[in-house]
Amino acid sequence: MQREVGSLPLAPALRARLVAAGFQTAQELLETGPCGLSKEIGITKEEALETLQVVRQECHGDAARTAGASGATRKCTALELLEEEQAQGFIITFCSALDNILGGGVQLTKITEICGAPGVGKTQLCMQLAVDVQIPECFGGVAGEAVFIDTEGSFMVDRVVDIATACVQHCQLIAEAHQEEDHLKALETFSLESILSHIYYFRCRDYIELLAQVYLLPDFLSEHSKVRLVVVDGIAFPFRHDFEDLSLRTRLLNGLAQQLIIIANDHKSAVVLTNQMTTRIGQSQSTLVPALGESWGHAATVRLIFHWDNSQRLATLYKSPSQKESTIPYHITSHGFRDVQPSAITQNAEDIEMNPRKRPRREEEK
Amino acid sequence: MVVLRAGLCPGLTEEIVQLFRANGIRTVVDFVSSDLEDVAQKCSLSYKALAAVRRVLLAQFSAFPANGADLYEELKSSTAILPTGSPSLDQLLDSGLYTGEMMELMGAPGSGKTQVCLGIAASVSLGLKQHVLFLDSTGGFTASRLYQMLRAQAEAEEEQAALQRIQVVRVFNVYEMLSALQELRDRLSQQVVSSTGPLKMVVIDSVSAVIYPLLGGKQSEGLAIMMQLARELKALAREFCLAVVVTNQVTRDSSTGALKPALGRSWSFVPSTRVLLESKEPSGEKATTQRVASLAKSPRQPTGIQVELDIG
Repeated sequence: MQREVGSLPLAPALRARLVAAGFQTAQELLETGPCGLSKEIGITKEEALETLQVVRQECHGDAARTAGASGATRKCTALELLEEEQAQGFIITFCSALDNILGGGVQLTKITEICGAPGVGKTQLCMQLAVDVQIPECFGGVAGEAVFIDTEGSFMVDRVVDIATACVQHCQLIAEAHQEEDHLKALETFSLESILSHIYYFRCRDYIELLAQVYLLPDFLSEHSKVRLVVVDGIAFPFRHDFEDLSLRTRLLNGLAQQLIIIANDHKSAVVLTNQMTTRIGQSQSTLVPALGESWGHAATVRLIFHWDNSQRLATLYKSPSQKESTIPYHITSHGFRDVQPSAITQNAEDIEMNPRKRPRREEEK
Repeated sequence: MVVLRAGLCPGLTEEIVQLFRANGIRTVVDFVSSDLEDVAQKCSLSYKALAAVRRVLLAQFSAFPANGADLYEELKSSTAILPTGSPSLDQLLDSGLYTGEMMELMGAPGSGKTQVCLGIAASVSLGLKQHVLFLDSTGGFTASRLYQMLRAQAEAEEEQAALQRIQVVRVFNVYEMLSALQELRDRLSQQVVSSTGPLKMVVIDSVSAVIYPLLGGKQSEGLAIMMQLARELKALAREFCLAVVVTNQVTRDSSTGALKPALGRSWSFVPSTRVLLESKEPSGEKATTQRVASLAKSPRQPTGIQVELDIG
């Protein structure tokens, strides 16, 4: 109850007036009541009532949390978090080397950023993930739906059809090899039409539409609670032109990042962003670095950089809270995102238990 | 700037407050700095009553000087030094994290700030058996990595207990963070023992993620909130003898192109110790887990000292 007035979420002008009138703690505000408040500061009674409601909410929220209720707040011990994480699935990418360096695949509740030069395969991976998130649980997937927010217009439906067909065929091969009940039942609902109908596509043409879409996303997600993946393909594009005030851009981007983290956390979904590369001209040489500046680098929890080495595509894990930095090669085939040399993949016993389809994949791929 | 109100102290009734207001005395400062005889005449009140009210108000609102020797004794008995679990980092910090002070870790993305924070939390929870509060605003807290670190240091039974001593709160905007700190303050002042236990450390990863959306442009609200947060953290550290660790980002200076810590000059006065984390090889051909930590600001050690850390 001793919350300072300066720390309450009120409009700045109102806050300044409250402090100038001499109110110091939330308790004093509540004691004064709406009539006294409107007289002292010179605001209307409705505004005073609204203000007191906000204050009461904050204080009751605090009191409830002190008493031990942890409902709306995101508070838990590390042990509980560990159990949650271990029970959480990953979204696989069908490239086992990439899954390995990511620690199992794209993690839910975290933001993954993919940076790369044009043509290296960022949108391909996004489309692959939008299909892979829908793999049923008995095949090792998370059985979720996907939201695809496109700012560059690079989403090609026929490509998604190719990727989805390959994925369905893959699962059919596994089901034939294992012949289990739930595999066959899951295959009935896992078809090309169902995959395409569970990818929700939004097209945003400038940064205002993108911001609006992201801020409205929680409402959409509460109606479609099965969504487990949000892809924003091209977060750099709308922010790289049209901005004279760079500090405004930084502020908007950081607000966007925080909103995306809230979405990832509250709805237990993975957020994948793609970013462009830009050249930084140093003292003697110039290097390719991810666009949008230094401060944007802190927004994503996991950062992957895709680049070329002669004619081989490489993926580097540049930033991750739990995995080491490493680089692996990958391929883009007509079936989608794949490994380079499947025969060179080493398998652990754990992997076979977690992902049964890794074994048949070796026979299927050429 | 406390406004005079009836009931603020015995002897201050509503009519007296009204009389004061009519004569232009609104706040405690106005009253205490005015000439009492003058006020007594203008408001036709007794000088004795006014003097009594003034004495009580001064006792209530002024700060009392303490002498250095007493302060030193108090410091010796209440401050603890928490080892961070990494001998080279301890060397940099003059044997560890001092309670009652704030330490800031800054670095570029991928430089290892979250890893160092997890390492410190693991060491305090496992080695010292103290409770840790971890405020996560970036979503980067990975319990499995923490578990990995604990497993490397401990035997089987102790890891579970160590994990339970670390409490994680996810806060994604600055008001939630202030609420969480207020709740911590209430809990500590009520001294609820049992579940929470002796809290000795608060780690905030990262403080710039919640403040950045408010800074910049023509609004000064962001700076005000940032300073509120800073004041709350320092007050918590000092009053309840906690060690506070925060992480900060770096941005590029637009004129010189060098990296500098985020949040500007105002924030640079807030932490008492600042450590910059960098990757060992700037050109980085091979991925490495080595990092270089340099001391940018410290009340005890000369700045510019560098040590090598392994965050692997």
